[in-house]
Amino acid sequence: MTTSTPSATPTRSAGPAAALRRMRHQSPGDLAFAAFVGVALTAVVFATLYPIWFVAIASVSAPDLVQSGQVLLFPRGVNSFGYEQIFADARIWQGYRNTLTYAVVGTAINMLVTIPAAYALSRREFRTRRVLIFFFAFTMFFNGGLIPNYLLYRDLGLLNTMWVFVLPTALNVYNLIIARAFFEHSLPEELHEAAFIDGASYFQVFTRMVIPLSKPILSVILLYYLVAHWNDFFTGLVFIRDADLQPLQVVLRDILLSNNVFAGGAGGAGGTGGGYGQQFADQIKYGVIVVSTLPVVVLYPFLQKYFEKGVLIGSVKG
Amino acid sequence: MTAVLQDDDRTTTATGAEPAPPGRPRPPGARLRRHLGRQWQLWALMAPAIAFTLVFAYVPMYGLQLAFRRFDFEAGLTGGEWVGLFYFEQFFSSPQFWPLLRNTAVISVSTLVGGFIAPIVLALLINQVVGRRRKRFTQTATYLPHFISIVVVVGMLQVFLSPSNGLVTQLLERVGITGVNFLGDPSSFVPVYVISEVWQHCGWNSIIYLAALASVDTQLYEAARIDGANRWQIIRNVDLPALVPTMVVLFILNMGGVLATGFEKIFLMQNTLNLPVSEVIATYVYKIGIVGNQFSYATAIGLFNTVVNFAFLLVANSVAKRVSSTSLW
Amino acid sequence: MPATAPRPHPRRPRGRSRRVTGLVASCAAAGLLLSGCGADAQADDSISVMVVKHGLTKPMAEMAWVQQLEEVAGVPVEWEEVSSDWDQKKNPMLAAGDVPDVIIGFNAVTDQDLVTFHSLFEDLSDDMDALPNAQAMFDEVDGAQDLVTRDGAIRALPSYKKYWPQAITHQYVNQQWLDTLGLEAPTTWDELFDVLTAFKEGDPNGNGQADEIPLDFSPVGTTGFGYFQPTALLGSTGMQVVNGGGNGYFLEDGEVKNLFVDERYRDLVEFLHRCWEAGLMSPDAFTQDYSTYQSVARGTGDQARVGFSWGWSASDRFGPGVYQQYAAIGQLQQEAGQSAPVRWSWDYENLTPNAVLVSASTPHKDAVLRMVDQFYAPDTSVQVLWGDLGTNVEKTGDEQYTVLPPADPALDPSTWKWTSSVADNGPFFIRPEMEVQLPADLSEAVADSAPLQPAYDGVDVLRDVYPQPFLKLDEDDTLVSSLNDTAVLGVVMPQFAQWVTRGGATRDWDEHVETVLDVGLAENVEIRQRYYDEYAASR
Repeated sequence: MTTSTPSATPTRSAGPAAALRRMRHQSPGDLAFAAFVGVALTAVVFATLYPIWFVAIASVSAPDLVQSGQVLLFPRGVNSFGYEQIFADARIWQGYRNTLTYAVVGTAINMLVTIPAAYALSRREFRTRRVLIFFFAFTMFFNGGLIPNYLLYRDLGLLNTMWVFVLPTALNVYNLIIARAFFEHSLPEELHEAAFIDGASYFQVFTRMVIPLSKPILSVILLYYLVAHWNDFFTGLVFIRDADLQPLQVVLRDILLSNNVFAGGAGGAGGTGGGYGQQFADQIKYGVIVVSTLPVVVLYPFLQKYFEKGVLIGSVKG
Repeated sequence: MTAVLQDDDRTTTATGAEPAPPGRPRPPGARLRRHLGRQWQLWALMAPAIAFTLVFAYVPMYGLQLAFRRFDFEAGLTGGEWVGLFYFEQFFSSPQFWPLLRNTAVISVSTLVGGFIAPIVLALLINQVVGRRRKRFTQTATYLPHFISIVVVVGMLQVFLSPSNGLVTQLLERVGITGVNFLGDPSSFVPVYVISEVWQHCGWNSIIYLAALASVDTQLYEAARIDGANRWQIIRNVDLPALVPTMVVLFILNMGGVLATGFEKIFLMQNTLNLPVSEVIATYVYKIGIVGNQFSYATAIGLFNTVVNFAFLLVANSVAKRVSSTSLW
Repeated sequence: MPATAPRPHPRRPRGRSRRVTGLVASCAAAGLLLSGCGADAQADDSISVMVVKHGLTKPMAEMAWVQQLEEVAGVPVEWEEVSSDWDQKKNPMLAAGDVPDVIIGFNAVTDQDLVTFHSLFEDLSDDMDALPNAQAMFDEVDGAQDLVTRDGAIRALPSYKKYWPQAITHQYVNQQWLDTLGLEAPTTWDELFDVLTAFKEGDPNGNGQADEIPLDFSPVGTTGFGYFQPTALLGSTGMQVVNGGGNGYFLEDGEVKNLFVDERYRDLVEFLHRCWEAGLMSPDAFTQDYSTYQSVARGTGDQARVGFSWGWSASDRFGPGVYQQYAAIGQLQQEAGQSAPVRWSWDYENLTPNAVLVSASTPHKDAVLRMVDQFYAPDTSVQVLWGDLGTNVEKTGDEQYTVLPPADPALDPSTWKWTSSVADNGPFFIRPEMEVQLPADLSEAVADSAPLQPAYDGVDVLRDVYPQPFLKLDEDDTLVSSLNDTAVLGVVMPQFAQWVTRGGATRDWDEHVETVLDVGLAENVEIRQRYYDEYAASR
């Protein structure tokens, strides 16, 4: 029976020496398994990265080469027309600014509304929690439709202001349910009992104990809300008239669709932007993703550290 | 002895339970009764959520009654003539009903199955990676596709799967398989749709499972290794059980999507060759509702759709309650 | 033992939890406060105009003629510009009754919308005194007033441009390839088949690869036929279609029919199937999107790839590298020596409906009407269509203009027009008496339509051309008809693709006709016949 001795001294867990060490301590079955994991993940990473790579090189390649399938591994016919078009549009910068504002304010409101509620609903002694869950879950399915919502926002004065981006979607029931599930199963009851014995209120337990222990779920929910705000294009499309308030996604979608405007066939009178402009429409398509995705991709690694193991080490004895 | 107001809760009681002398266990009901007295705090924590839901979800719900009324613009949303189940009957008896229902169910259920299993497998695999940097790299790589807009994903599909010069077509030709048309062949629409859905969202959806795995007490892993378990056994006995509550909740929630397909991707992928399998309820409602201004009919169909979804959710929830300890309510 | 159970004092949340609750409360309060302030941000002392424009068009504020409009109005104008997703924006806007003072765009608000939402828009029939330029258009252009009148009310104004050819779709064959292979331009379907076969096998572009695409056409959507599609060849059988086919309705000797149940359509489909089987069509024809279709035709460098296709003008369709290889040709006959005269699609492009609408509840009606009428003034109309005086157009005399070549040498005239102004999407009246020196793209398109002109000879417009824009269905008929159309198209469009790629049109024809009529086509034809009879009687 082989055991792997946990290292007492700080040794690196990565690198060839460490790998060899690990291999020596493992059974053939484990090695085969590790090999399988390695192969599977490499295939997965390749399958996900190659199209991304394709998008990146297509955004700087000549579009007719892209269309005819000749751009495979490297850019060909390199030009920056796509990016020039995108960044020349002054609305992009305003769009970035707006999206940042809406995402930050929106996510803050989301967290303040969702997390306390998820915690409250996770407490088994909360008498009305079953009714309340149903109350929330019902709204995931049944909603009045676009027009009553539009009328409501108009009556509340939310139309054409920044608040229409952050208030109506303050609570996402899906996230609420996920957070609640996490609280129910990952928070040890012993901690609560200890706290209550010491005479703490729910507020104190929540802020001083639950939140620090819930970093993984908080990061996940924060990320979900943040990305939802970042990707939201429908709100701005329908409820905002002022071009200065539009978020990035609406601006990009405008550029994207305007250049793809013939997707359904020739529209209007003939000769609508046929020549030069049409040629590079596709390039813009790919450039648009890079522009819209980059910030979130940059942010994610910072949140990743909260997912790592060992968050609950030492909190519960015996 | 009168209760004295103090800063700690020990002597403030909702009922007349007397404070226990130090060192002696309390009467069984005492702690519970003390908890009940603090219920209002839980309500306070819930208050913003309830308020927002009431205002933004329940108030506009009157719009649903449009499904039972003829839309008359002059009379407003609630002023049209009441026609009861007229629009539902119209939908059920229309020749498109069964094809739409069948197409929607096939696409949704396939996406559901693929989209449920793949993230779990991926999370388990990624969790096995040793080395923080490598793990982070793998995670980042797999979730990147989630951010690509649908218009672009469909555009890429058309480039890669083009019957004349798409990458995939060329690769298949080299192995001797010719004459494929993934974009036009009706029988390949669902696989292409599902595989591209899984490809795009699998990494992102695995995040929640990875978070659950990150919360597993490392002592469990140590104990298992000490007991001589190999990697596969560890996965089966430590990782999977840790994921079960999340899995059950997500499964129940996904059951509520049994007749829900995204509109935009299907709309973009539709062409004359695959329309018999690609026309779903969402695209049909778009064509008649948005383009045709048939608000009542569109609302009725939408309502039918959500009622079916909700029924599935209820069933899934009660099954989960019986079979596991997790359920929504 | 306490005599009574003391009521618990509400513990005030302390420290961080207090701060948290406080934060939530203030956020909510701030939100409500600000939302209250944000309400009614629309200034009531300006005119709001929504422009549904092309994606390439530059901002309205950069167009000089816009300044003139604002001066005429006398009231500041706020421009709201929409270039994508107009359908999704329009719907809740109309349903909530939130319309701006003016809406501009090519058919931005359709007749179907007007049926439901007519009370939102001003009836201009009693305001024509304030609209002398628009009245001039009604007087000089036959049908302009009928186009926008429904039940006596005029809720929108059309646009008229004199110079556009009757045919929008033009037919092209690669003349250089014909010369290389020693062939003549085809005049019948069989000759076309032979020419396409020769293109496929003879390597006319001389690059040693069999990469020629003999026949290509604009992607056929699921919502009917349109320009630049194979339905152009329906005219070979003598069938007079409109707008490239549309939902299939056409008129023959005063009787409304539909091509989807007509045997001549079956003949065309069989011919196309023959071409597909022989590999003469682009294999991507049914799956490519528009931008792929366009870029394929541009070839590589000076090597063309497409042999026969349809387009607006050669340079637009085939690009600057290879367009000179192509020649515009006339309509083909189905069979040599046939008795039925050939026809070409009748495209309603000179007179277009619903270019501008006015809100029924605008507080600035006089200013708005002044501004709307200014669009139709001669100088403004020319600028709306082509761009500013001085940069894009030059005035060379009274009612004489010359359209200048693009100031940016990298752009073609068409792109230049669409970038500089709202172009065909705007309201304008290019008068019959005006003389305009046309830009290169338009004069090219006019020249390319010349070979098709004989196909219009002898057409009895009243009895043989389906007056699609002039039939105004009422609300109930609109609802029934549009549901039926959706059902019919859901059957016939996939069937078209099936029959062309797999054959079977003749075998399945009878069953197909029965199904289609059953699913709603019979009812729709009957509805339209009624409206046509009324329309014909009033002429």
